[in-house]
Amino acid sequence: MVTTVTSLGRSGLSDWLIQRVSAVVMTAYLIFIVGYLIATPDLTYTQWAALNSTLPMRMFSLLTILSIAAHAWIGMWCVLTDYITVRLIGPKATILRIIFQLGMMAVTLLYVVWAIDILWGI
Amino acid sequence: MILFFSVAVFLWLLDASLASEQSFDGVKTFFANPICQFIIWGSLAALAYHAVAGIRHLIMDFGLGEESFESGRVTAWIALVVAVVLIALVTGWVFLW
Repeated sequence: MVTTVTSLGRSGLSDWLIQRVSAVVMTAYLIFIVGYLIATPDLTYTQWAALNSTLPMRMFSLLTILSIAAHAWIGMWCVLTDYITVRLIGPKATILRIIFQLGMMAVTLLYVVWAIDILWGI
Repeated sequence: MILFFSVAVFLWLLDASLASEQSFDGVKTFFANPICQFIIWGSLAALAYHAVAGIRHLIMDFGLGEESFESGRVTAWIALVVAVVLIALVTGWVFLW
């Protein structure tokens, strides 16, 4: 089974590193946003828009959505190439897997475009 | 799969909370609705579990722990307990606060 044509880094070692770096970025963002929302219970629109329109915050948010995209791509690729296989579900597996993979990639890329539109549209 | 699609929920919330003052207030109304609260709770609970299990993997990648079957069992249980505590906190945050 040729699986490397759809993996993000085209190499297991590269995917492994990307998965871990993106995990650290997302964890930092999650802790920051949850901490901010808990520390600011009476958040107003003005405060929220001011925070998210600063360049460092836009960069942090963009880095996080790129990490989500890479992390989801690698994670979904692992699940799909592990379970939607000819050995497990028969000869239709290859076409089914490629459909799921292309769908997943399309949704992932749409998430990134949507996030850029939100962040630079404030 | 839950996490993959919850990205859409959080992007939609970010979009609405930043688009205008009216839509920001709309998000606040959304958070008061029990069905919406349940969707947010489910997404955050799944995220908390995934994050804790992921941090466990990062710790193991750094070679901490003895890399034995027994330490694998013990840290898996610790991760599960930490995730349950975090999910309890998320429950309080989403439904009660």
